[in-house]
Amino acid sequence: MFMASLELIRRLEFNVARALVGKPEVVRLAVIGLLARGHLLIEDVPGVGKTTLAHALAKSLGVSFQRIQFTSDLLPSDILGVSIYDGKTGEFVFKPGPLFSNIVLADEINRTTPKTQSSLLEAMNEYQVSLDHHTYPLPRPFMVLATQNPLEYQGTHPLPESQLDRFLLKIRIGYPDRNDEKEILKGAGATALEQIEPVLSAQEVTDLQAATEKVRVEESLLDYVMAIVGATRGSPLLALGVSPRGALALLRASQARALVDGREYVVPDDIKRLAVPALAHRVLVRARLERAAGSELEADAIIDALLQEIPVPR
Amino acid sequence: MSVRLAFQLCTYLLIVDGLAALALAGLLEPAWWPFIILVVMASWLHEAVRARVSAVVQHRHLITILAVGFFALDLLYLAESLLDGFVHLLLFALLYKLYTRRTLRDSRDLLLLSFFMLVAASALTVSVGFLLILIVFLLLGTWTFVLYHVMWEAEKNAPDQAAALIESRDLVTPSLLGLSVAAAVASLLLTALFFVVIPRVGQAALPLRARLGQMVTGFSDRVELGSFGTIQTDASVVMRVELPDGPADPEGLESLRWRGVAFDHFSGREWSVTNVERRMLPRNPGGQISLARPRGTGYLITQEIYLEPIGTEVLFAAPRLLGVTVSSGPVWVDALDGVTSPVPRARLRYRALSELELPARRPTGAGRPLSDEERARYLQLPLLSPRVRALAREVTRQSPEPWPAALRLTHYLQTTLRYSLELQRTPGVDPLEDFLFVSRSGNCEYFATSLAVLLRTLDIPARVVNGFQRGEWNPYGGYFTVRQWDAHSWVEAWIPGRGWVTLDPSPRADFDSARASSTNFQYLDALRMRWHRYVVNWSLGDQLRTSLTVREQALAWRRAFLAGGLSFPGGKRGAAIAVGAVLGLAAALFLWRRGVALAPLPVRRPATVWVYERMLRRLARLGLRPGRGETAREFCLRVAAGLPEVRATVEEITRVYEAVRFGGAAVAADELARLGRLAATCGVPRG
Repeated sequence: MFMASLELIRRLEFNVARALVGKPEVVRLAVIGLLARGHLLIEDVPGVGKTTLAHALAKSLGVSFQRIQFTSDLLPSDILGVSIYDGKTGEFVFKPGPLFSNIVLADEINRTTPKTQSSLLEAMNEYQVSLDHHTYPLPRPFMVLATQNPLEYQGTHPLPESQLDRFLLKIRIGYPDRNDEKEILKGAGATALEQIEPVLSAQEVTDLQAATEKVRVEESLLDYVMAIVGATRGSPLLALGVSPRGALALLRASQARALVDGREYVVPDDIKRLAVPALAHRVLVRARLERAAGSELEADAIIDALLQEIPVPR
Repeated sequence: MSVRLAFQLCTYLLIVDGLAALALAGLLEPAWWPFIILVVMASWLHEAVRARVSAVVQHRHLITILAVGFFALDLLYLAESLLDGFVHLLLFALLYKLYTRRTLRDSRDLLLLSFFMLVAASALTVSVGFLLILIVFLLLGTWTFVLYHVMWEAEKNAPDQAAALIESRDLVTPSLLGLSVAAAVASLLLTALFFVVIPRVGQAALPLRARLGQMVTGFSDRVELGSFGTIQTDASVVMRVELPDGPADPEGLESLRWRGVAFDHFSGREWSVTNVERRMLPRNPGGQISLARPRGTGYLITQEIYLEPIGTEVLFAAPRLLGVTVSSGPVWVDALDGVTSPVPRARLRYRALSELELPARRPTGAGRPLSDEERARYLQLPLLSPRVRALAREVTRQSPEPWPAALRLTHYLQTTLRYSLELQRTPGVDPLEDFLFVSRSGNCEYFATSLAVLLRTLDIPARVVNGFQRGEWNPYGGYFTVRQWDAHSWVEAWIPGRGWVTLDPSPRADFDSARASSTNFQYLDALRMRWHRYVVNWSLGDQLRTSLTVREQALAWRRAFLAGGLSFPGGKRGAAIAVGAVLGLAAALFLWRRGVALAPLPVRRPATVWVYERMLRRLARLGLRPGRGETAREFCLRVAAGLPEVRATVEEITRVYEAVRFGGAAVAADELARLGRLAATCGVPRG
């Protein structure tokens, strides 16, 4: 059972890595997000492969996939769906929006208005949509892959903290290295993306997600997570520490990482490696307004520094 | 306070403690004190002074050779005793170390030296002050040793961070201090237990250097009139007397005196003993030495006497002495009933049994009549002024019988002459005449001499006795403190039908009432007494007695318990104390257990973790230690980068360690043994 899970994970990783050339660790983070039932926020400058990653992941899974291009005039109903009057029956019929898919790529999520952004909150947290006094469940597995562009201030609306807290991990892709970029120029990634076939069924994904939850977490590791979270709350450099939701996210992600790594138990490294992707977007650096652009990077550095001080369980 | 500063401070305090011990034992002359203290203190500014001293220190080998030569000479010829020579050597080593210390090891040597100073002092001192010095040493020493260990570990395990660590203020925590104090108290209790339990052998320590206290005059076989003058202003304690089976209110025993020596021959200026022959007394099988038989004239009273070293062989006891028990040595008695024993040791403890005289005695008819020769001796008189004889006749004109005459003369001296320690004699006048008719004031010797002479002019045999008056009752220790100023002279007169009767003509009462000691002094003195009784003089006999008492008590309790009713010694109070002690112990135990439960329990570590830690220790020898926030894998990567040859080993052990520690995996015993051997190879540098 365990070996079979591992085999599935390897296949998925391999598949996605074909499209996103030279970024195996980013691919791994995306897989971790999937296994931990989380949503991913992919942030980077334009053109490094955010959409490619989301696309490749979605296509690798034999599940329904929708891409929503977030723009400033997008309305909640454009995403969630709308009830329209059926002349034949004389009743309002709910017409589901693009959100009703297994994988949703929310492209350039910070270009839309806070109103539309907020319409995603319930869907991401409770896997359901409430509309006109009705509640419509979303298909499972359900995952939101959002991309955002940090440098484009013009016409962007930064995500509110409550929205950010719903993303399990925030991933940065970064520029590929020289050789990999050359491969891309030769067209390696682009052709691969077109050729990607689904390698995992919806059922297999849910099975893997269930297996993730069974990964063993030793008692002292819970203390380690608590220590990290506590340190962010106590740090004088941070105005806002990590929420209990954030602590839970770190733990789930660590379990997923252990599984992806081929282990049935979490080790301190899992937690330490994931602390930045899982926590950095949830904290608020002091004097953030003055240094808007650098704040996220600064949060990374602060959490990294905290990690060096917190004793690792031995 | 940083570890380094605390350690240095404690080291200096320990040195001062050691020097205080030497001073207490008299091994350090007071004249040297300021010099040594100054030199020790100057070495605190070591770094500043070193530059100046370095010129000398460069010749350390020369200094050592010179020192060896000097101390060889000192030990052989100069020093008062072997021990003094060693102390000189010790002091030299101390100063040498203080000024040349560089490493932690040197500081440890200083601790050892201060310990040796205590050892040297312990051979000579029996003062209770040593207890204080020992307690200070134990407390400070334990703490210093803890600090030393912290610094040593820091230097050994983290040489690159050691400087920062020993300057850090975080390491000296109250809990560490508490731990060290607890350890010191525990070792003190353990020491006390060993002291009480380990059997004593033989007599006290080696008499490396016999030292006597102040010599007390007045107890040899020839005493000049007025010789008490100086000691009667001295408050030093001469002896302490316990009355083990005495009355409930020993202070009621007003007329108690401690008789020493008696004199029968008066030259006009000094008293002496005509017949200096002494006879040795046999010891009965019980170890007791019998002197006289009880006459049934008064209370029998046992005295436990602790005599300080005052340079006399006389055994003091209440008159009339019936018997004494001394642990060793012969006991002599002279013709005048003075008891002596040569004392090889500095301090003497003995037990005496006496029959007290009742204040207003009826004639008993007891006492053997004096022989003519004795009678002649006790009636001997020097050439006297007729005025003295006339005075005796004048005072006793109305009652010429010996007993009323003696009482009358005593009363006359008590009431008409003044007691004074300021002895101003008129030159050219016979001292006795001067006292009786001119100055009309003097101390007890003059009163006693006058009475004895006056009695002798009336043909009543009389002798002068030197000893001590009762002294002060110490309610804390339950004994009489007798000091030098209690030295006293009185008279014994032979009255037909009554035998030897004590007569004391000195009106001292008012004078002595002003000399009461403070409560603090009495308390301290009681402590001193206990120190001598239960520590310095703790003997095999005491051990046997104590164990017998414990055994008897235990048996008594067992019997009482089996009989159904448990009664405590000391009645309700004893029971209350016992119950309180049990409850206190239970509460302490409960709190302790709770404290342990509240503190995070150390996780039980499987053997694989031990293997991993072994590997860490080996790697630490090569300077590779995991950082605070470094995980096992990160450390493994770092080691692999630094030491490619151990990479495979470290990776394997780390992997197994993680699986066991976090994955709960089990490892077979032979696999574990293999890993253990593997771990041992990690720290061995190749090539």
